[in-house]
Amino acid sequence: MASLYEMVWRFLHALLYLQRAIVAWFRVHIWRWKLAVVDLLLPLALGFHNQKKTGPKGTRTSRRVRWGADGRTLEKLPLHVGLLVTEEEIHYTDIANLVVWCMAVGISYVSVYDNQGVFKRNNSRLMEEILKQQQELLGMGSSKYSVEILKNGTNKQEHQVLSCQSMVKVLSPDDGRLSIVQAAQQLCRAVEQKEKTSKDINVSVLDSLLKESKNIPDPDLVLKFGTVQSTLGFLPWHIRLTEIISMPSHIDASYDDLYDALQRFAGCEQRLGK
Amino acid sequence: MSWIREEKLSLLERLTANILKAGPMPKHVAFIMDGNRRYAQKEHKERQEGHTQGFEKLAETLRWCLNLGIHEVTVYAFSIENFKRSKEEVDGLMELARQKFSRLLTEQENLEKHGVCIRVLGDLTLLPEDLQTLIAKAVVSTRAHNKCFLNVCFAYTSRHEIANAVKEMAWGVEQGLIKSSDVSEVLLSECLYSSNSPNPDLLIRTSGEVRLSDFLLWQTSYSCLVFQSVLWPEYSFWNLCEAILQFQMSHRSIQKARELHREEQVLQQMESDRTCVAEILQHRGNGKPMDGQSQQNALLNYSSSREERVRGFLNTLQHKRDAFFDDLSSQAVVA
Repeated sequence: MASLYEMVWRFLHALLYLQRAIVAWFRVHIWRWKLAVVDLLLPLALGFHNQKKTGPKGTRTSRRVRWGADGRTLEKLPLHVGLLVTEEEIHYTDIANLVVWCMAVGISYVSVYDNQGVFKRNNSRLMEEILKQQQELLGMGSSKYSVEILKNGTNKQEHQVLSCQSMVKVLSPDDGRLSIVQAAQQLCRAVEQKEKTSKDINVSVLDSLLKESKNIPDPDLVLKFGTVQSTLGFLPWHIRLTEIISMPSHIDASYDDLYDALQRFAGCEQRLGK
Repeated sequence: MSWIREEKLSLLERLTANILKAGPMPKHVAFIMDGNRRYAQKEHKERQEGHTQGFEKLAETLRWCLNLGIHEVTVYAFSIENFKRSKEEVDGLMELARQKFSRLLTEQENLEKHGVCIRVLGDLTLLPEDLQTLIAKAVVSTRAHNKCFLNVCFAYTSRHEIANAVKEMAWGVEQGLIKSSDVSEVLLSECLYSSNSPNPDLLIRTSGEVRLSDFLLWQTSYSCLVFQSVLWPEYSFWNLCEAILQFQMSHRSIQKARELHREEQVLQQMESDRTCVAEILQHRGNGKPMDGQSQQNALLNYSSSREERVRGFLNTLQHKRDAFFDDLSSQAVVA
């Protein structure tokens, strides 16, 4: 009997994986077709209505204006978005696109995370890619989105931070539980040296210590990419009230996917225990 | 309504359960039972009625879990943030808890038969005193049972729990039981209210909300999270099966991530031991460069003495916590 059950179980899971693969295939291909159709129709439409071609700079400006306007029409916009990648295969260009779109919509803080520390190890590659996509998608002309790469002075690690309008931070599991442990150690050391007593320790003391080391607000939205249903160690202390929205994959993710997620976020009501 | 339901699963349910059990199963499932009030509103019932039905659903879910071979369940019954609700609702919830925990005390025999151990996680001191005593009695009387475990998070938030764990460690430092350098991820986990349970494998939140709301933040870092849109009083066996299917499909990747994290933990501990040994040697300052062998020995000595310190501290902490419940439960006899 047991082997029969196992066979049925295997069959069931095979079906589920097949369904998942088909959905993923359609997602990618429909998006490509959409692109192809737009590429085909857009010049035609422009050709009919406007003999003078606007050229790439024109489309960039119009896109930029549209993204900015999208950000303003949403009822609420997250202050800090975490991009959590659970997939094995990582496409830097797609992540960079997402980061740039977030910035264009008007999100102030974007963090990028994976549980193996791939982004942290290849920090400079990601930052380069972001700069490149920024020029590609938003154009050079705008000073509003000018980007500076800063060395984070307060931290000994060389986190590179894109400052000005938006700040991009690369995170790994070391910023999660480990940072809580480090804060705990710091407090215990203060107790050891009789600077504090154990009674002084409470949620707000720990929270301010953890805020200090991060220098960014708690994320209000996490976009989790991939089929793994887990946060895989992403900032446990900070995601207390974070909305976690799942997306099938970061590969070939489009602006519309991001906008849909932001719309969903804008519709969420937080009752804060009440 | 009783805590323990004895009905068996129907034939179709049993068949499904057996098929699911052919794959990897979660050993510990956590629930955020959300949607009681929305359910009451939808059905045009009193808000309190929604909460009561929510409790009944919990009893039913426990039965399903047991039949599925899940022997540990953690539920979010009342958050510290919930004290912000209207006085009427908070009082209603406290009354419900009083009823249910009193009922629990009358079901001793049944609990013993099934070996149900009930733990209450949270800051009990925030609750009315009579409820504290009731809860302590329920906890103390089922403490020895070890077949299945129900953890009820009451007056709980995860940040509060973590801050409390840090406080306990600082207390250990004050008492001279441990050093500040002994603080590690493993030690912090052991100081949480949930120290006696493994981390949940699966966390289920109902009613379509997609956040953790300050529940088991530390413990579910590497758990499968499933958000379902059904309201808690309408939760069914099939919803549970769907969540388990999702768990099974994520299982391999999560297992891998857990493994990676465990390796990282071991490395961190080794690194920390090495730093401590280096510091000690520097302090002694005999200046003689040590050879590899004696360095290795010093490291081994240090880590075994650290482990002993930590063990001693955790024993003391456990005693302290047990004593807290014992004192509370014996208070009622006097009163």
